[in-house]
Formats: sequence, C-alpha cells, structure tokens
Amino acid sequence: MLFKLLIFPGFLFLLLCAFVFDWVDRRMLARFQGRVGPPWYQPVADFIKLPTKEDTLPQGVNATVAAALPMLALAAVLTASVYVPVAGVVSASFEGDLIVVLFLLSLPALTYFLAGWISVGVYSILGGHRSLLQYFSYEVPFLMAVAGPAVLSGSWSIASIVAYQAQTTWGAVMQPLGFVLAVVGLIGKLKRDPLDIPKAKSEVVSGSLTEFSGRKLALWRLSMNMQTVVGIFLLVNLFFGESRFFDVLPAFPVFGLKALSILLLLATASAIYARLRIDQLADLGWRILAPLALLQILANVGIGG
Amino acid sequence: MTKIIVPIGPQHPLLKEPVSFQLTVEGEHVTESAMRLGYVHRGIERLCQERTYVQNIHLLERICGICSHVHTTTFCQGVEALLGVKLPSRALYLRALLCELERIHSHLLWLGVLALNIGFDTIFMYAWHDREVVLDIMEDLSGGRVSHAVNIVGGVRFDLTDDRRVTLLRQLNGLEEQVRILLGVVEHEQTLQARTRNVGRLSLEQIRRYCVVGPVARASGLDVDLRRDMPRPPYDGLTFQVPVRQEGDVWARTLVRMLETVESVHLCRQMLDLLPPGPVSTRVSRRVPAGEVVSRTEAPRGEVVYYIRSDGSDKPARVKVRTPTLTNLITLPSQLENVNMADVSVVLSGVDLCIACADR
Repeated sequence: MLFKLLIFPGFLFLLLCAFVFDWVDRRMLARFQGRVGPPWYQPVADFIKLPTKEDTLPQGVNATVAAALPMLALAAVLTASVYVPVAGVVSASFEGDLIVVLFLLSLPALTYFLAGWISVGVYSILGGHRSLLQYFSYEVPFLMAVAGPAVLSGSWSIASIVAYQAQTTWGAVMQPLGFVLAVVGLIGKLKRDPLDIPKAKSEVVSGSLTEFSGRKLALWRLSMNMQTVVGIFLLVNLFFGESRFFDVLPAFPVFGLKALSILLLLATASAIYARLRIDQLADLGWRILAPLALLQILANVGIGG
Repeated sequence: MTKIIVPIGPQHPLLKEPVSFQLTVEGEHVTESAMRLGYVHRGIERLCQERTYVQNIHLLERICGICSHVHTTTFCQGVEALLGVKLPSRALYLRALLCELERIHSHLLWLGVLALNIGFDTIFMYAWHDREVVLDIMEDLSGGRVSHAVNIVGGVRFDLTDDRRVTLLRQLNGLEEQVRILLGVVEHEQTLQARTRNVGRLSLEQIRRYCVVGPVARASGLDVDLRRDMPRPPYDGLTFQVPVRQEGDVWARTLVRMLETVESVHLCRQMLDLLPPGPVSTRVSRRVPAGEVVSRTEAPRGEVVYYIRSDGSDKPARVKVRTPTLTNLITLPSQLENVNMADVSVVLSGVDLCIACADR
C-alpha cells in the first residue's frame, strides 16, 4: 500500500511524469512553432532553480496563507491522484471515487483565485477574478462531459468505467462529442493556451501568481504540472480505458502512449489558436459546450439506460 | 463595482518600449485611460543643431530601431533639395530598395508582436522567422541588420553586384511564399479574427480629424500613400497597389499591413530588375546654402516629415521631425474608451507604436 501511495502509481511516479510531460509538451509546442525546444532536464532545472531564488511578497499579504495556498493546491492534486488508476494499478478505489476526484481537481482553481485575492496587486486581483469567471465557464461542460462515461457504464467508480470499456469499446469511440468537450474543459482547467486567460501575459502580467516567487512559485508550477498529468490520466481512464484489442500488448506502455496522445492534442490546441477573451469563453462555455454536453448525456442515457 | 487603476507601463510585458497608460477598470471594463509619454526623449532635435550634416545622418538613424533607414533617407532628401543636387538614379533605386526591405521587416515584426499579444505564439515565431530573411538580406547589403549607415548626402555607400542581384531575387521569392502563408492566416483564422475584429475601430472622420497616417489610416478607408501620391524616382516608374480597407478595426490594419508587405516584395523585385547602371553617389559641398525645406517620405508606419532650415553653415539651424507614431498615438485615448481589459493589448498593438520615434 505504501509503495503504491509513494512510488508507483503514487507521488514519485507522478513527480517524474510531471517533469516528463512538461518537457514533452514544451518540446512538441516548440516543434510546431519551428523552434528546437528545451533539453530534457529543463523542467527539473527550473524546479531546482526556483527555490534558490529570493522569496518575496508584497507588503500587507498574509505570509501564512500565501505559503499554505500552493501546498493546498498540490495536496488536492496528489489526493486526487490516489484514486486515478495508472495502467490498471490504483492505490485506492471505491464506488463514487470519480466524484471525489472531480471535487479535488477543482480545488486548485479555488486556491488560484484566493492567491490572486490575497496578493494585493492589481494584476493578481484581475487574474483572480478572471480565473473564477473561467471556472464557471468551463467547469459545467467539463463535469457533464466527464459524467458521460459514468452514465454510460452505470457506475461512478473509475475502475468500473475502465472495466466497462473493456467489455464494450473505448469511451471516446462511443461518445466522441463528450471526449472533445472533456479535452476543451481540461484546457480551461489547466489554464493552457488558448484558454490561459487568467494569466495572459500581455493583459494581466502573470495573473494570480504575479507576486509569487521562489519556493512558492516552484510549488505552484509543480501543482500545475501535476494537475496536467492527473487530468490527462483521468481522461485516458474515462475515454481510452482497457480495450480487448490491446490485450496482447503490455498495459503500461499503451497507457503512456494514450496519455501522450492527449498531451499532443493539448499542445496542438495551444499552437493553432489565439487566446480567447473572457466573454468569448463564457459564450463558448454556456452557449455551445454546455448544450452539447447535455446532448451527449441524453444520448448516453439512451444507449446505456 | 469598484474602480481600480491598472498601470500599463512604463514597464509591462505588453510594451516593448517605455510608455505609460493608467487605465481605470471596472471589472473587466476600461472606462478611462490616461497616457504619459517622454520616457525615451533624447533631445535629438536639439542635438542636430550642434552637429554637422554628416554627423546628423548617424544621429538621426538612431531615432528609431526599426525604420532607421527611412529617417536618414528623409533627411538626406531634404538636404539634397537645399543643395540642389541631382542624384544618380542608381543611388535612388538602392535607397528605395532598402526602404522597402525595411517596410517588410517592420510589418513582419509588427505581426509577430500582435500575435504575441493575443496569445498566438506560433504566428509570432513564424513571422519573426521570416523577418530574419529580410534582416539577413539587409545585413548582406549594408553590413547592419537594423542600423545600416548607408545614406550619405549625395547618394548611398553600398552597391550591388549582378551575382548578388540574382540571389536576392531568389531570396525574395521564398519570402513572398512565406508572407502569403501569413496573409492566409490573417484572412481565415477564426480566433485571430475573434480577437481583432471590431476592436479599436476608428471612423474615416476620426482619422481625418486626428490626421492619422499610414496603414492605420488606410485601414479606415483613407486612401493615402506618399509613394503614389507624391511620386519621386524611382517610385514614379514602378507599378504597385495601395491596399485600402473600410472596416477601420485592428483586423483591417493587420490585413492592410500584410498586403503592403506583399506589395513591397513586388516593388523590391521590380527595382532589382530595373536597377540602372552608374555611380551610387555624387560629391556635394559640406556647407548647405541658406534656406528651408520640408521633406516627406512614406515610412512603414506612415508619412514621416522633416523640416530642415539652413543658415548657410555646415550645421543645420533647425531640424524638426514629425514621426507617424505621434499622430497615431493621439487616437489611443478614444480607442481605449469602453473597451474590454483584454482588448487593450490588441488596441495598443494595432496602431504599431514606436515610442522611440514619438519621443525622439
């Protein structure tokens, strides 16, 4: 149990994945843009470098809260990871763990908003507001899209959803619309290009995290990178679970390949779109994504029910 | 809702040069804006009176870090008019060739900055990659990527061999292909249009009232271009289109600039084809006869005007520079009224600010 929790598929593995995914992501994006991209050790070097930098905060900021927020975000992501299976191996599982994971994965959004709120600076406050607005735009379609596989398989346990796909076929094949919506929702959740509205450099400098530096910034970045990994693993489980066709191959490399494919999708989206405005995202979320997600759920009820 | 003041500048990731905007923001809505200039004022006009005409060329080249050549061209043009010399036509062609290359470089650089500001990093990388081609050409011709130091009163200081002309034509063909790809992105990409359409709109009437020049004016339907309206050699012998759009928003400005880039590539090609033989400069006197002159050229950002007064010595009595950015800057407060906070970056990019030009 302790091995599962701390080493595989637990924290150490997740830390490794966070660095690898960050590097692969930057490298893919660089290739799309006609650049070379950083060497493999760049994310590790960044992570080592940041804590050696001076850790400053503006006057009037509650230092305890500022230190606690990135830890809280990281803790939420790590706790969520406990329930997300990696290639069929999972530390803990119970009926309804999908709901817990979704809740834990939305906690970082709250801490991110609070980070902006306590930071005093105008860019941080604007970024914090934006992150909350963005949360309301992407979260509903995302939750509905992720609920789709649960409705289809009749279970709120990730392990059962994976098992259900082994009997039928991939979730992405049965509900392609739901998969696309989940990816869009994940982009919004991770505040990645083109939905990096709360931290748009040319508008609000660095959003909520403008005033953070040193160790705290390193923790924030780590929690973001881990959130990317956990989010991608979750989508792999829900939409590309075990399949009869791949039984002959070893589970772990296949899982990794699936996860990297979703990362490729995310990198492609960053490369080919300009950043949306917050009102355009709200329009997109409520006028297009949410009704489509509803449609997918109704279809799932029709198929599964 | 509470109002907060958001400072953009003098240092901000959005800005490439120091200028300051104080935006009063309610939520995401900008209600008021105040602008402050002068962070890069270097007193160049005054310095001009202390230096000889020859020294002034090198000083004026440093007004701008992008369109440096067009400044010296305008200055030399004015001084040559005072001297009453006629330039060899090869010199005029070479001067204009570098002006057009500079326009391509300036517009591509600008597209990259706009793309970066709307979070479209891929186009930023591509535009700046293509801009390298132009910089390489310019370095090859003059020895400098940005400051060329090729203009002298009475001509230019570089020449072009026939071999070089052929390779240059080939480089230009490759460049045109790349620019057409970027043009296609501007015309068809949905998210880019979502960010730039109906943003920073200026009506034709506002354009006239503020005396706006250059691509910003042409994007609002004002059909002005000195190269065509007041043709000097070699432009009188060349054929080119002046792209004009009616929309008046940032998207139209983007399109106008990209179409102009294509036209500039055509112009370069024509000039290389028609390049007359002969000397590239002529000897002139160091003392300039007393008198005054207004010299105008079409810079990448619009019309640049030099007023030069001479008292008969080897130093000018007065040099006054009116850069296009100065007239275009004045429209910013009205463009920034009632916009979304996220549109500020688009509006500020849209006018193609060159603060160093405006402050001098």
